[in-house]
Amino acid sequence: MLRLRIPFKYQLLIPLVVIMGAILIFPLLYSLVISFQNYELSKIGQEHFVGFKNYINLFGNRSFWAAMRNTITFVVIAVSIEVTLGFFLALLLHNKATFLRGFFRSTLLSPMFITPIAVGLIFRFMTNSQLGVIPNLLKNFNITIDFFGPKLALFSIALIDTWQWTPFMLLLILSGLESLPEEPFEAAQVDGAEGWRMIWYVTLPLMRPILLAAVVIRMLDAFKVYEYVYAITRGGPGVATETMQYFIYRTGFIYFRAGEAAAMSYTFIFVITIMVVILFRILQNKEETK
Amino acid sequence: MKGLTRKRIRSVITSVILSFALLIVFFPYFWTILASLKNPADINHPLDFTFTPTLASWDAVIHAGIPAQAMNSLIVGAITVLISLLAGTPAAYAFSRFNVGGNKARFGILLAQMLPPATLIIPLFLLMYQIKLTNSIIRVVISHLTVLLPLVTWFLIGFFDDVPRELEDAAQVDGCTQWQTFFKIVVPIVRPGMGAAGLFAFVMSWNDMFYALILTSAKARTLPVGIASYWTFRGVEMGQMSAAILLAILPMIGLSFFVQHFMLRGLTGGAVKG
Repeated sequence: MLRLRIPFKYQLLIPLVVIMGAILIFPLLYSLVISFQNYELSKIGQEHFVGFKNYINLFGNRSFWAAMRNTITFVVIAVSIEVTLGFFLALLLHNKATFLRGFFRSTLLSPMFITPIAVGLIFRFMTNSQLGVIPNLLKNFNITIDFFGPKLALFSIALIDTWQWTPFMLLLILSGLESLPEEPFEAAQVDGAEGWRMIWYVTLPLMRPILLAAVVIRMLDAFKVYEYVYAITRGGPGVATETMQYFIYRTGFIYFRAGEAAAMSYTFIFVITIMVVILFRILQNKEETK
Repeated sequence: MKGLTRKRIRSVITSVILSFALLIVFFPYFWTILASLKNPADINHPLDFTFTPTLASWDAVIHAGIPAQAMNSLIVGAITVLISLLAGTPAAYAFSRFNVGGNKARFGILLAQMLPPATLIIPLFLLMYQIKLTNSIIRVVISHLTVLLPLVTWFLIGFFDDVPRELEDAAQVDGCTQWQTFFKIVVPIVRPGMGAAGLFAFVMSWNDMFYALILTSAKARTLPVGIASYWTFRGVEMGQMSAAILLAILPMIGLSFFVQHFMLRGLTGGAVKG
C-alpha cells in the first residue's frame, strides 16, 4: 500500500483548506465564470458565454454607478465620524483617572454586538413622523426634519452606522493606546507638553499605524451596509440610499440577472481594492515627508 | 492647588461627556423596552408616560413564530461554531507555530472575512440549487462558515502565539507525538481563547440577516429574518416588533460581557508580523 506522508504542519491545515476550497474559493471562481455568461435565474440551462458584455454594460448602467457613489459617500461619512468619535472617547477611557472607567467601557461597547436589522428597525421606529419619539420631541421646538427624505437619507443611514459601530472603533483604538510605549510620553512631559499638545504631537503620530488599520478594517466592513437600507428605505427615495450590497442583491434575486450581478460583484471588489490601496499610499506618503 | 482644581474640572467634564455618550447608546434600548410594554393605543402617543404597562406584546410574540426562529438561529450558530473551532484551531496552530504561508496566508485569512456577502451569495445560491441542497439550516451554516471559519482562525492565531514553545518541546522530549502535544498540551492552554472565539462567532452568526434571508425557506427562518418581517409599519405590530427585537438583542448584549475582555487579543491576534 502506498502511504503518502504529509508533514504535520500541513496535516493541521487539511480541514480548513478543504472547507474553504469548497465553500469559498470554488464559488468565487464559479462566480467569475458566471460573470461572462448571460446567466438568468428564471432561465437556468439556457446560459451561454457572452464575453465581456456584462462588464461593458455596467459602464452605461447609471443606477449601478449611483449605488457605487452612494456606498462610497456613505463609507467616507460614517467612517470619518466613527474614527473621530472613537479616538476621542478612547482617550477619555484610556485615562486611568476617569471615574467608573470599566463600567463606561463595557456598556458603551454594547451596540456592536446586536443584529443590524434590529438597529435599523429601532431607528426607523424612533424617527417615524407619527409614532416616533424624535420627531415628537422636535415638534416641541417647532422643528421638523425629514430624516429619510432625498437630501438627508444617506446621511441618516450613516449616523445609524455611527451609533452601532463607533464602539468597534473605540475598542480597536483603545487596544492601540494601551499597547503604546510609555517613554515618549514621559519625555514629552519633561519637555512641558500636556493636554492637547501632547495628543497632537505625541499620541497621534504614535497611533498612526493603528488608526490606519482600524480605518481599513471598519471601511471594508462598512462597504457591506445592507440591513439599515433594507429596514428603512429599501434604496429610496429614488436611488438616494441604493447601496452596492443592496443593488447587487436586487439585480440577482429580484430581477434574476445572476450574470450581471456577478460582474457587478467583481467590479465592486476591484473598486474596494483600489480605495484601500490609495488610502495606504496617502498615509505612507505622509509618513515619508515627515 | 490650582493644578488640583483643574484636574477636578477635567474629570467632571470627562464624566459628563461619557454619561452623554451612554445616554445616546442606551436611549434606543430604553425606548424599545418601553414600546414592548405599551398597548397599541399608547404607542400612538410617544411622549405620554402615564400608560399602564402590559405584557400583551410579549405574550403575542412568544406564541408566534419567534421561539421557533430563535431555535433555528441557535442551531445554525451552534453548528457553525463547532465546525469553525474543529477546523480553525489546528489551522491557527499551523499558522502560528510553523508560520505556514507566512504573512501572505495571514493576510488571506483576514481578507476572506472582508469579502462583501453580495459577491458570494450568487454563486453559493446557484451551486446549492444545482446540487439540490434544500435544507435551510445547512445552507445558512455553509454561508456563515465562509466568514466565521476565517474569523475564528484569525482570532486563535494570537492565542497560539502566546503559548511558550518550551512546553511543547518538553512534551516531545517525553515522547509525545506532534498530534498528542497539540491535543494534550497546547489546546488546553488556548481553551479560553477558543471559548471567546466561539462566543464571538456565535454572536456574528446569530446577528446575520443577509445570508439567512436569501437561503432559508419560509418554514425555517432565523430570528433576524423573523424580525425583518415586522417591516409592515402598523401601530398594532410595533409593540410586538419591539418585544421580538429585545429577544434577539438582549442575549447577545449579555454574552458580550464575557467576550469583550478577550476581544482585544483576538482581533489583533493574527496581526501580520512586521
